[in-house]
Parts: sequence; C-alpha cells; structure tokens
Amino acid sequence: MDRRSAIRNLALVMGSAAILPYCTPGKPTAHYTHFDVNLDQQNLVAELAETIIPKTTSPGARDLELDKFVWLMLDDCTKKEDRDAFFKGMGEFSDLVTKSYNKTFSECTKDEKHTILNTFEKKPKPSQKNIDSSDDKYSKELKGFYGNVHWLTVFGYTESKYFMTKEIVWELVPGRYNAYFPVKNLKAAKNG
Amino acid sequence: MANLNIDSAKERTFDAIVIGSGISGGWAAKELTDKGLKVIMLERGRDVKHIKDYPTTNMYPWEFKHRGQIPQDIQDANPVVSRCYAFREDAQHFFVKDQEHPYVQTKPFDWIRGYQVGGKSLLWARQTQRWSNFDFEGPARDGFAVDWPIRYNDIAPWYSHVEKFAGISGNKDGLAELPDGEFLPGFPLNAVEDYFSKHVKGHYKNRYVISARCAHLSKPNQIHIDQGRVQCQNRNLCQRGCPFGGYFSSNASTIPWALKSGNLTLRPFSVVESIIYDDKKGEATGVRIVDTNTKQTEEYYAKIIFVNAACLNTNLILLNSKSSRFPNGLGNDSGVLGKYVAFHNYSAHIGAEVEGFEEWATDGRNPAGGGYIPRFRNVFKQETDFLRGYACGLGAYRGYKHENDGFGESFKAGLASKDYGPWYVGSHMMGETIPKASNFVALDSAKKDAWGMPLLNISVDYDDNDQKMQKDYVEQLTEMFTSAGFKNIKAETNHQAPGLDIHEMGGVRMGNDPKTSMLNKWNQLHACKNVFVTDGSSMTSTSCQNPSLTYMALTARAVDNAVSELKKGNI
Repeated sequence: MDRRSAIRNLALVMGSAAILPYCTPGKPTAHYTHFDVNLDQQNLVAELAETIIPKTTSPGARDLELDKFVWLMLDDCTKKEDRDAFFKGMGEFSDLVTKSYNKTFSECTKDEKHTILNTFEKKPKPSQKNIDSSDDKYSKELKGFYGNVHWLTVFGYTESKYFMTKEIVWELVPGRYNAYFPVKNLKAAKNG
Repeated sequence: MANLNIDSAKERTFDAIVIGSGISGGWAAKELTDKGLKVIMLERGRDVKHIKDYPTTNMYPWEFKHRGQIPQDIQDANPVVSRCYAFREDAQHFFVKDQEHPYVQTKPFDWIRGYQVGGKSLLWARQTQRWSNFDFEGPARDGFAVDWPIRYNDIAPWYSHVEKFAGISGNKDGLAELPDGEFLPGFPLNAVEDYFSKHVKGHYKNRYVISARCAHLSKPNQIHIDQGRVQCQNRNLCQRGCPFGGYFSSNASTIPWALKSGNLTLRPFSVVESIIYDDKKGEATGVRIVDTNTKQTEEYYAKIIFVNAACLNTNLILLNSKSSRFPNGLGNDSGVLGKYVAFHNYSAHIGAEVEGFEEWATDGRNPAGGGYIPRFRNVFKQETDFLRGYACGLGAYRGYKHENDGFGESFKAGLASKDYGPWYVGSHMMGETIPKASNFVALDSAKKDAWGMPLLNISVDYDDNDQKMQKDYVEQLTEMFTSAGFKNIKAETNHQAPGLDIHEMGGVRMGNDPKTSMLNKWNQLHACKNVFVTDGSSMTSTSCQNPSLTYMALTARAVDNAVSELKKGNI
C-alpha cells in the first residue's frame, strides 16, 4: 500500500475515532482560566506557529511568543463551543500527523510540516505536496483548529511590537492626511 | 470635589441646574456660566478629566492584552453594548455594561450609553451637519408627527455660534439641503472619493458627494487655543479621549471652559431621581438626586433647570417626576411624554471594488472618514413610495496587499509587503424614521434599579417606511456604483435593532400646541416654564443628519432665551 492510500484509510477511521479521548494524556504544564494544557499541546501550537511565521533574518513565532498569544486568545476571547472544538480538532490533528508520519508534528521535517499545513490551507498550493485536501475529508473541528491557530498567529504577528515598529510602522500621531498620495513616492522612499 | 456633604439648603441652591454632562449638557453649562449664572451640573457617572482620565489614549496596539478585542465573557454578559462598533478594548471603560444598568426591551432595542462626565461626547462619531428648512418643514409638509415650532432661520445663528466654538471642519458646498456653516478647512476627498463625487455630479441631478463635515480642529482658531485645544493630529483614536483636544467633547471643551469661569460646580455620582415641582409656586424648584456612592438622597434647588440626561434618560426623569399637578410625569398634560421616539435607520450598507487609480493612495489618516452624500430623496417634493429619505456615508480606501492564507518564509515576508492592493469603496445608509405614538418608552411597573429608579421599558421598532427606504438605498447606491464603474458590488442589509445607531430621539418633542407636544419653540416645557429640555428627546422629527450639532445649537439658543426671560422676571 502506498503512503497516500494508507493515509486515506486512516482518515476514514478517524471519524469513528473522534469520540475517543483525543488528547495525549499528560500532566498539565500551563494553566489557563478555562483549560489546562500539557507539554505536547504547547509544543504542537508553538511548532505550528513557527511553521506559519518562521524565524528568518527577522524574529519568528517563537521569538515573539505568538504561541502564548494563541493560548491567551483561546482562553479569553473565544466562545466555549469554539474552544471545545479547538481541543477536539487539535487531538485529530495530532492523530493525523502520527498516523501519517509515525511521529509528532514537532519531530517532522520542515518538508513534512509544510505538507501537513498545505493540507489545511484554504487555497492549497498545487506546487506543494499535501496529505489529501479533498473537501469533506476532515472534520470542521480539525480544519477549524488549524484555521484558528493560523489566524491568531498571523494576528499576533501583525499586531506585535516588532512588526508594528520594524516592518510596517504604525504611527500613534500621524499628524497628517494626504488624500492624494502618489504611490511612486512611497516606492521611492522605501527603496531609497 | 466640592460639596459632597452639604447640609444647608442655601449651599444647595444655584441659579441653574444642568442634568447631564454630555454634548448638550456641556453646552448648557458653558452658555449659562458664560452669562454669569451659578450652575451645578449633575452627572450620574464618575468624573472624567480631560487627558488625565484617558488611560488608553497613548497606548500602542500591542499594548492591549487582546489587541483590541473584548474578552468573550464580557461579550457574553453584555450582548447589547458588545454590538457597538466602538466597544473595544481601548474604549470599553467609557461604555455602560448591560449588566450594570439593565432596562426592559419590550421590543429589541440596543441602548448604548456612556455614564461619565462627558457622556457619549467622548465616543461620538463627530459627524456634524446642519439641518435645512427642508428638514424643519418635513413633518408639516408630509403630514407626520407635529409641525416643528422653529425653522432654519431660527436656529441658523445658533449653529454658527456653536460651530465657531466647537470647531467644525468642512467645505462650503453651497447646497440648499445641507447649509454651509462656520467651517475650518475640510478634509479632502481621496482619489476614488473625488472621482465618485465628480461622476455623481455629472450623472445625477441633485446628488452630491461632499467631504464629510466633522468636529475636528483641522486648523484651530484662537477660540480653540483658548480652550486648551490644538490641531487634530489625525490619530483617529478619538474614542479613547484625545490628549490634543483635536475633536470636540464636553471634556475637552465646554466643561473646562465653564469650570474656568468659576461659576460651575460639577457633581458626579449623582443620579437624578426626579425634578421637584412646587404646586403652590407652579414651577419646578429643584431636583432630587441619589448619590451613587452613599445611596443618600439630596436635593438641589435652582430657578431654572436644564434636562440633558440624553434622550431616553431625560424621558425617564420626566416620567418619574410625578406630582399632584403632574401625575403622569412633569409637563405631561398632553400624554405624549415618552411617545414618538424615533431613531436613524442604519440597516444597509454597500461595498465594491474599484479598478484603476493605482497611482494614488492616501497617507496619514482622515478623521472625517471620507465623503458624505446629503439626502437626495424627497427633498424638494415627494417622489417615492416612502416618506423622507437617507444620507449616506461614503469612503474609499486601499491598503497594502498581502495574502491572508499561506505559511512559511514567503508568506511571512508578504505580510510586510508595501505594495498597494486594490481600492475598495463603501457606503452606509442613515435614514430618517417617522416618529409614531406606538414607538414609546415608559416606566416599568415593577422593576427598579439599584437607586430605586423604575427601569425604562423600551418599545421601539422599524416600520414599512423604513423597509422601503432600505430597499431604495440599496437600489440607488447599487445603480450609482454601477454607473461609476465599480466592480463586484455587494449590498448587505442587517437586522440591527433600533438604538445601535445611537441616534435615539424624541419622547419630549417640541411643538406649537401644548395638546400635542411637550416643549415650546424655546425647548421650554409648555406646562412648567422653568424647565428646559435640549437633548435628543426634544426632537420633533429626526431628519437624517447626525444630530449632535443640532442639540448643541438648540441648547445655546434655549439658554439665551431662558436667561433673558429670567432677567425679565418671567421665570
């Protein structure tokens, strides 16, 4: 059996597996108001965030502690049903990774991580591998888990002090409104 | 703070009492103290001192724990205020939480309130347009509500009076349906707004897209400097309170001005329970308050009383001011008190993509928000199957282009792209609603608040006219956008409850006839001549302009008359 078929078969049984306990039992390592999380869960979200916003010549998700922001927002600013779905989806995500690669997401290679993420992108890149992103393959909780980690990571990044002071500078006191601003001026300023 | 523990009636006696410190109460205090009267201003909430009490005003986005979002438990506990666009992490401390001050919704009504010194003047959207005679003549011409007891010429000098002091930016557009005012320089339209303005002018009769007029100091005059205010710095963080005093609020402008005169005593934490009416004297003698800290009742006395508690709370106070002479509420011989409440119909908006204009963007921020389309329906004569019409907000914008989807190095780099994306254009409707007796507020017969005040029972709804107007807005704006060549036009209607427009008006309406109205042409209770009501509750009809400027002008006009009558010994 090739890997693709194996994964498809595994995915088929996942629907029935959904009712089984889906979180790796583990001692809570972080406490939030509405939930506790264990080390595996922390690592998964941190690795996912880092895969979405990797460290390059500039800081990545880990440097900017975007994983902590994801947990904070999940705790404080998320509806209970969405929070519950997040944990269910996270369990399914871990299971899918384990069944596809026989290791945790953190242990996957960069290529494998990209293959996994491409699976859940709204517009998966055809040039990039994915596990199998055909519609209805995965539960809405699983897709929602990735979607939530993604948007909260990106939201945390674009609203981080680093991004708003070094990448796209947010001004507290603009002191001006130019209604007709020639785009070429901006380009000249940024490139100059 | 002065006089928390006054025990002599003399020390609790002033020339005038102003109930409420929001946009109209601030004006009442300013005008009364300017004329030398000793005034006490009663505010049910806490004090908010200009600059000092704007805790978030200089915070950066990343300094907000949830980057602006309101935590879910607060939203769950306070669904009404959570629907307000400005109820965000940076300004939540200026909003009343549902839980703290309940009311009864016989029909869904999103009552958005700001209980503090300055009231909602800290939070308002700062759009300021004069009414024209077409608006004041509306009810008489179209046969609804009652005739306004005033016309444009009565209020025009008072518009000028308040505009000069408040600081209104705008252009002289020369439109009969939206009279020009005393303007500071207007904020210009951007490339797409400007294009649309020219297109509309060329293709439609009597339709105009103008720069939105707003209460921002685009170029302050000496009178603004004298208030301690300086030029608007285009921060567009107004809802936090502005350390520059760049926009008009009671806190930045009228209240410190009145305090500087030495004639104003400000008493926060004072819920007005009722206005005291003396049967023998045949006039109001003062007000009874509950101190929200001590729960103690106190009375304050004055020759004249201005009621500026904001529309629905002014209704509540008058309804609760019962005496043997006025068993149904102060001045309520006619039975219209609490009735004919109306609002603005914000139930539709439209958006589209714009091709071209790629060589232009904007730089900095526009506090005016963009353009404004004055009412063009039924202005000169009745021409549709609904009464009255709507104004439209209009704005175009473009941001940096970046993909929301994706991951990894190129995705990350793309988020910081400074290449511009396409232009978008959007508009929302602001429709006049027709006041009706069946849209009313009343005292709840059973439920009371923490101070022993009856809860307000609100029964206000849309009607067929509003539905037809909404449909027309969608049709007309779709056509105008199509005609202008905009693409992918999407109009959306919403089912937002009345109230979320935060333009509730009426219940204590002005009119010529005491049998059908509460207030005369001087905003004076027909039946109790030393009580004046000059906030939104006094509005006979709503037109479709943002109403605050008209409250300011009505207030200044009413004070001028009240003090003149007082000096003549008539009240």
